[in-house]
Order: sequence, then structure tokens, then C-alpha cells
Amino acid sequence: MTELPSVAVQEGGGLRRQALAATGQVIGRSVGRLVGFAMGLVDRPMKAIQRAIGAKRMPYVFLLPNFVFFGLFVFLPIAINVVFSVTGGTALFPSQRPFAGLDQYAYLFDCGSFLDPNSCREDHFWRGVANTAKFVVFQVTAMVLLSLLTAVILNMKIRGRGFFRAVYFFPVLLSPVVVALIWKWILQRDGLLNAAITTFGGQKILFFVDPGWAMFWAVFVSIWAHMGLYTLILLAGLQAIPSDLYEAAQMDATPRWRVFRRITLPLLWPNMIVVIVLSLIKGVQTFDEVFVLTGGGPGTATLMVVQYIYETAFSNQVQNFGLAAAASVVLGIVLFVLTLLQLAVTRQKER
Amino acid sequence: MAELKLVGARKSFGPVDVLHGIDLEVKNGEFVVFVGPSGCGKSTLLRVIAGLETVSDGDIFIDGTRVTDVPASDRGLAMVFQSYALYPHMSVRKNMAFALENMGLKPAEIEARVSRAGTMLRLTDYLERKPKALSGGQRQRVAIGRAIVRDPKIFLFDEPLSNLDAELRVATRKELAALHAELGGTMIYVTHDQVEAMTLADRIVVLRAGRIEQIGSPLTLYNSPSNVFVAGFIGSPRMNLLPAKVRSDDGVLRLMLGESELALDRPVSGLKAGAALTLGARPEHIAIVSDGGDLNLSIDLVEQLGGETFVYASTPGLPQITLRQDGQTRLKRGDTVAIRFAPGQLHLFDEAGTALASPSA
Repeated sequence: MTELPSVAVQEGGGLRRQALAATGQVIGRSVGRLVGFAMGLVDRPMKAIQRAIGAKRMPYVFLLPNFVFFGLFVFLPIAINVVFSVTGGTALFPSQRPFAGLDQYAYLFDCGSFLDPNSCREDHFWRGVANTAKFVVFQVTAMVLLSLLTAVILNMKIRGRGFFRAVYFFPVLLSPVVVALIWKWILQRDGLLNAAITTFGGQKILFFVDPGWAMFWAVFVSIWAHMGLYTLILLAGLQAIPSDLYEAAQMDATPRWRVFRRITLPLLWPNMIVVIVLSLIKGVQTFDEVFVLTGGGPGTATLMVVQYIYETAFSNQVQNFGLAAAASVVLGIVLFVLTLLQLAVTRQKER
Repeated sequence: MAELKLVGARKSFGPVDVLHGIDLEVKNGEFVVFVGPSGCGKSTLLRVIAGLETVSDGDIFIDGTRVTDVPASDRGLAMVFQSYALYPHMSVRKNMAFALENMGLKPAEIEARVSRAGTMLRLTDYLERKPKALSGGQRQRVAIGRAIVRDPKIFLFDEPLSNLDAELRVATRKELAALHAELGGTMIYVTHDQVEAMTLADRIVVLRAGRIEQIGSPLTLYNSPSNVFVAGFIGSPRMNLLPAKVRSDDGVLRLMLGESELALDRPVSGLKAGAALTLGARPEHIAIVSDGGDLNLSIDLVEQLGGETFVYASTPGLPQITLRQDGQTRLKRGDTVAIRFAPGQLHLFDEAGTALASPSA
């Protein structure tokens, strides 16, 4: 009988499970005692507070620690930033800064035509806006399509699938600055790529001198660095689609392209929304890798909004905190709108 | 409607052989049920027929055409999955229309077919709903509807009732039988439930460990099981299978059953003295008698169902014996009863489990 060995194996597994469970119980008991002791310490003061304010208000007491940290490192800086944006001068402390009303915003938005950065008084800001917009359009489009393609391929039964899944994710683990430095080393005038080109008899290309190439590589490197994360999100979505749906589609004699369009894409859509909005938000915030790779150059060809803010506030000779803060508020509003858009689309889809 | 023929169909997953050479013919319009315990290969066999799995060896013919290498999408079959596998993002209407759109049918024709199936399956009020807004039974009917609208050559059902509760299962079973009567299509149905097999099938295919044990009509299988496995698998409660030994006595064949002796009611050729046998007796073929019984048993348990009663009783040296009594009884646990095996209703199986004699043989 074939059943006997399997029963024996199960019993073996059962013994191991029991041993594990016993170890687990010992650990559990010791941890439990420790936690119990710690809880005993806070028990008294908490009970006193509960007596003072009543059980109904206790949730707020539990929320307080988190709220303090959140307030200190998120809400307070936002508030300070808004204060800076309505003051002028070069002083660091808000108390020493003269009130300027909406002058900073007016200065930012003083444009002959919003479509032409050169017609603006603060042309660098608008150059940054235009560059960021261009960057986001290309980067998000290419990122979504490439990570979708990669996820679909990685979801197939291919040889070395685990290896490729890991390889595509590795760049995500690198710091953006490291990524940019690696690619700078490859792309610079005497870099690896030009060495390869000249070996095959080509002419050196000055990638960081040509505005078109610089933007292309900024988009490329950014995609290379972040694609793994989005591929992973889409791969998880693909794997969540039950395989019997594909079998049903096969029985229904569905052409492959139609399976993808009518079954895979709609069922993957929630993950696609996450990927699109996340990459949109991260795209608008782009700074570090492009800054290290091109320094915003040549000229201002790859200058992003965040780089403009950073330079205006900290690295220009005159540190214009007020203007930078105003630009930050504008950027913040854009990001806020994008987030609302995401929520709206997600809810729409759920219905 | 179509005929199906399998010739020596084998399937192995790596070193594991799941199907060992299946030969089978299904006639036009026939309702065939594959039944067997879990792991017997019945679902794999269905998937091989569907084309969702390829055979490792052997051939498959539909209407005389070899389809062994034809992909599932081109075989023209429809399958109802155990999980229903409805497209969750499409309405009931879209679910049923999807395959028809693939076939390139005109919208008017699609609409006509969907509404006809909707009426037949009482889904008219739910056509615009998504599957998650339906009950289990309704989802089941949508899955069947998706198969019906295509007018496939053969319907394949993979344990379609196993996700329904008991009451709904009985109701749906009856609907399926009615559906087959109405459509008349060739249907192949996989189940592990022998009651479903008995009630639905024109012919039952009993599978065990990747081999066909017996093929036949439900009553053939019930009355003349060809081996111990089929005898024990078909029928509920199951047939009593008792170890016995042949004793030759003055030219008359007698069986030693535990500590008692049983005279064979008719001659069976080829039995040698001392040979070990299995005696099979259905619960309804054992009578309780006042005297002259074959065995004396002590009652372990009485199950009163009102219209019928099951008595479980035992004697040293034999497995527990199940008896079916019509109506109700006053017997209770601990009582001793004498039983008699109905003349001419006993099954005999040799040591390998093959049937030696069946009542109708």
C-alpha cells in the first residue's frame, strides 16, 4: 500500500512540529513574562489617567505618542515652511524675518507666458517645472510599460526565473546616489560606454553636454533604479490572478492578446493604479539621482523643481529661504492633488 | 454532440505516473461519470480530454479526428470548473458572452443565446450582476451557462457540485440530469461522490490509481462489481466484505466465515479447498431471522431513519457487518440477532480481489 509511508512521514513531521511548538511555548512564556512585567509598570499610571478622564477618552491617550512624533517631524515643518513662504529677507529665524504676504508667490508666478520659462522672472523655477513635467511624462510612461512587460515575462515559466526576479529587484536596494555615480562612470566623456563605442570604431558621444542625451539618460537611470519595485508590485498582482481563469479562457478559445487585454489587464488594474500613481509622485519629487548624474546640466536642461528649491534655499550665494519655501508649497499642492487623484481613481475602480 | 475515444492515454508528471494507459469510448449524447477516490487521476483524465494537460503517450479522438496535439482552445469542448472560474470583473452576461465573442458571432446571435441560457438556468434577473454578488448556486449556474451558450461538442464537468451545501447539491444534481435530458449533449462528469455518479450517469467509469477498474451502467456496477474495489466503492452504505475460506466437504463447497460455516448456495467452478476468498453482501441482502441463521451477531449501533433502518453488528473474527431493514425496528444496542444471507445475492472475490461470482452472473 502506498499510503503507509506517507502516514509515517506525517508522523515524523508531527513530532518535529511538536518539538517546535514546545520550543515556541518556552520562548512565548519568557517573552510573555517580560511583557507582563513591563505592562505592570505602566499599569498604574494608565489606570490613574483613565480614572481622571474616563475610558471613552483613553484612545486619544494611546494615539498621543505617535501624534507627537508626527507633529514634530511632519506637521510642524510644514507649518514653518508656510511661515517662511510668506516672509522675506535672508535671516534664518522666522522671528527676524519681515512679513511679505504673498510676494514670494507673486514673484514665482510673474510670467509673461507660463509655457515659456524665459518669459518668467524666476525662469529657473519654471525651467525646473518644464523639465520635471517632461521627465515625469517620459519616465512614468516608460516605467509602467517596461515594468508591466518585465512582470509578465517574469510570471511565465522561464528558466532561471528566481534569478531574474532577484536581479531586476537589486537596483532598488542601492542608494540613488550610488546608482547615479555608477552610471556617471559609465556615461561620462571617458566612461565605459564611450570606450565600448570607440572600440567598435564609433565616435565618442558627449552625453552630458547634449541636452537631449542628458534628459534621456536621466530618465533611463531613474527607470533602471526604480523599475524593480514596480515590477514586483505588478508581479504580485499577476500571481494573484487564479490560474483557472486562464484555463477557462483557454477553453473559451480566447486569443492570447484578448486574454491579456480582457482578463489580465482588468484584474491587474488595481496594481497598475498603485504603480502609476507611485511613480508619478516619485517622479515629481525626483532630485538625488539626476542631481548627482547631470548636476541639472547641461545648463538647466535637466534641472528639476526639487533641485531648484534646494539650490535657492541652500546652495546659492544668497540663501532665499522665502522663495524656496513658496516653491515647496506649490510643489506640495501638486503632490496633494496627485494623491487625491489616486484615491478618486481607486474608489472609482472599486465600484 | 460528439463521440470521444481514448487509446492508451498515459500521463506522468516527472517520475510520477498518474494515468496508466486509459482506453475509453464515450458515445454520442452519453452522460459518463468518472468516479474514484481522491488522487485516482479522474481530474487529470478530464484535463487531458480538455487539452489543458497533454498526454505523455496514447491518443485522443473526437468524432474520429485525432486531437492529441490540438490545443484546448481548438477542441471545441466546454468545461465547468470546480471553482467555477468565472471572470470576476465581468457581469454574468459578459461571462457567458465572452466565448461567443471569441467565436466571432454577431451581437444579435450572442444576445439570443445568452438570454436563452439565462432563461433555462433562471438567471434572467442576475444578468447584469458581477459573480461576487451571486450565491454559490447561482455562480454554479453561470458556470454551466457559460458552457451551454457555446453549444460545445462535449461538456466537461470537474466536480461541479463539491462547493455547494448538501441541500443545494441534491437540487443542482436533479437540474443537471434535467439539463442533459433537454440538451442531449455528450457530457463527462468527474466526482468523488458515488451517489452523484449513480444518479447522473448513463455509464460510470470507476478509477483507481490511474487505472480503470470497471466501466458500466450504474446498476451493472452495483449488481455485478468486477472486483472488491468497485464493490466497496459503489453503494452506500457500502457492501459488507468478509474474509472467508473454502472448505471442501463431501463434494459440497462450504465457506468458513469467522467461526461459522456457510454452505454455498450455488456451485462456483475452480474453487480449491483452503483458498482464501472475500465474500460480499449488500446491507439489503442480509435478513434478520428468528432461527436457522448463518451467523449470530451482537448489535453495536442502530440508525433509525424512519423509512429504513441501518443496523451495525459484529461477531468475533469478522469485520462489522451493516444490515439494512425496511421500516422501523425495536432492536437496540447489545441485542443478539441471527442473520441469513439472501440466497443468490452473494458476491465472491478471489484473493486478488477479482469477482468469481456475482448474483446476475
